[in-house]
Amino acid sequence: MSEEEKNKSGEQESKEGSGHISRRDFLKDAGLVVGVPAIGSVAVSAETAATQAKTGAAAKGTAQSAGIKSAAGPVTIELTVNGGKYRYAVEPNWSLRQLLRDQIGFTSPKDWCGGQGACGSCTVIMNGRPILSCMTLACECNGAVVETAEGIAKTKHPVIQAYINNNAFQCGYCTPGFVCTAKALLDKNKNPTEADIRDALGGNLCRCATYQRHPPAVLEAASKLRGEA
Amino acid sequence: MKTWKKFAHIDAKTVDEAASILRTGKAALISGGTDLLGTMRFEILPSYPEVLVNLKSVPGLDYIKEEGGMLKIGGLTRLEDIAKNNIIRTRYTALAEGAHRTATPHIREMGTIAGNICQLPRCWYFRIPDNRFNCIRKGGKTCYAMLGDNRYHSIFGATKMCLAVNPSDTAPALVALNARIKTNKGLIEAEKFWDMAIPGSTILAVDEIVTEIQIPTPASGVKSAFIKFAIRKSIDFPIVNCAAMIGAGNARVCLNAVYNKPYRATKAEEVIKGKSIDEASADAAGAAAVASAKALPGDRNKWKIPIAKAMVKRAILACA
Repeated sequence: MSEEEKNKSGEQESKEGSGHISRRDFLKDAGLVVGVPAIGSVAVSAETAATQAKTGAAAKGTAQSAGIKSAAGPVTIELTVNGGKYRYAVEPNWSLRQLLRDQIGFTSPKDWCGGQGACGSCTVIMNGRPILSCMTLACECNGAVVETAEGIAKTKHPVIQAYINNNAFQCGYCTPGFVCTAKALLDKNKNPTEADIRDALGGNLCRCATYQRHPPAVLEAASKLRGEA
Repeated sequence: MKTWKKFAHIDAKTVDEAASILRTGKAALISGGTDLLGTMRFEILPSYPEVLVNLKSVPGLDYIKEEGGMLKIGGLTRLEDIAKNNIIRTRYTALAEGAHRTATPHIREMGTIAGNICQLPRCWYFRIPDNRFNCIRKGGKTCYAMLGDNRYHSIFGATKMCLAVNPSDTAPALVALNARIKTNKGLIEAEKFWDMAIPGSTILAVDEIVTEIQIPTPASGVKSAFIKFAIRKSIDFPIVNCAAMIGAGNARVCLNAVYNKPYRATKAEEVIKGKSIDEASADAAGAAAVASAKALPGDRNKWKIPIAKAMVKRAILACA
C-alpha cells in the first residue's frame, strides 16, 4: 500500500465515525500534530547516518566498516497489521511497538514496565506467536503478519465479549495485552483447561489484580469458538 | 519508554558472515533479543554496540530432531517450542521443564535456547541503568555485592571476585543431561561452557556463535527432572533451581543461581549414585550438595542454602 492509499484508508476510518469525536480519536489527532517534527527527525537522522557513512568509510577504509555504516540508515519494511498492508522506512532502533503506535496508529500495545519485557502490556500476535512488541525491533519485522487488539476486536472475536461478560478488567490498561495473549492461545488450543489458561497468561500483569476473572473469560470464549454456547 | 540509542542493523545470511562482523569488536549478536535489547535500552554496559547482527535471518538454525543417538536442537529454536515438544518432554524432561519455567510465555516465544544459555547475570548492581556501578564484571575494580545487598548472590564463593549467579533455567538441565554445545568453532561440553567473562557468561570467543545443542539420548530407565524456586510461578528468575538425571547406575545433579556458573553437585551425585531413591537418600544427597556452601559475610544470602538443599532433594525425588 502506498503512502497515498494509506492516507485514503485513514480518511475512510474517520468518515465512519463522522459527527462524533471520541476521546481516543482526539488524542490520536493531537498526537499526529505533535508527531510532525518526528518525521523531520527521521530525515535528519538519515542525513547524520550518511555523514557517518562518509566519515566512517574514510576513517576505516575497509569494506567491513563501510558495510556496517551503510546499515545505519532507515530500513524499508513491509508488514501486515490487522489485515492491512503497510510499508515504512524504519530506523534500526525503533521497536515494533513504536511503529505500531506512533507511525501506524494502533495504540493498543501499551507501555507499562518501560521496555523490560516484564509486564506483557505491549503484547501483539506476530506470525501466530504472542510476543512483546517493546522488545522486538521493527526492522526485523519485514514480511511479518501482526495482529493487535484492534484487529481482534474488528473481527468480533468472542474473546472480546467474554472479557466484557466476565468483567475481566478494571482500569483496562493491560487488557489489550491479555486479549492478544488469550487469542493466541485459543488459535492454538480450542479446548484449553484452566491450567493452560493460567500458564499462557502468566506473562501479563494486571495492577488491578483481576486475575481470577481471566480464566472464566477465556473458557467462555473457547466454548463460544467451539460453538457450544 | 526509554528508546534505544542509535545502532546499525545487519541481517546476516550465514553464520560465517555474522562471525566476521562480530570480529570487528563493535557488534553484538541478536537472536531473540530479550536479554540484549534490555541491556541496551537501559545502557547497563559501559560500551554500546555500533551494530546488531541479526542471526534470525540465517536459515536452518531452528529445529528439534533425534538423530544418531542424540537430540539436536538448533541454536535459534524458541524456548516455547522446546517446552512443548513431546520428544523433549518425555525423554529429556529436565530440559523441557527448564525451558517451560523460563521467564514468561511471551519471552519463551521470542527467546532462543542459544540466547538463554549466553544471557548476562541479573545481579542488581550489574543491571542498574546507565552503568552506575562499573563493577568487576564490566571491567571495573570492585564487586559492589560483596559489601552491598547480596541476598540473591553466590553461596559457593566468588569467581574472579564476581559474586553474581548464572540465572539460566535451561543451563542446569543441559549440564545434568550431559549436553554438548556446538559452535562455529567446535564442540564444548556443557559443563565447561560457562565462565565469568567481561561482560559475558561463557567461554565463547568474540566471534563464536552457538549453532546447536546436542544431548545424548538417555538409556531407557533413566529419568531427568527440573525444579525451580522463585517467588512467582511465571516471570521470575530463579532464586535457586536444580536439574537431575538419574538411572542406569549413574547420577548427574546440577544447581543454578547459586554460583557464577551452573554448579554441578558432585557430592550429591556420589551419595545418590546406584542407590534407591527415597526420602532419606534424597535428603542425604541434598545435604551433601550444600555441605561446602557458605553464606556471604553478613548472612544476607544464608536463606538460599536450605532452599538449594531442598531443590536437590526434590529434583532427585522427581527422578524416582
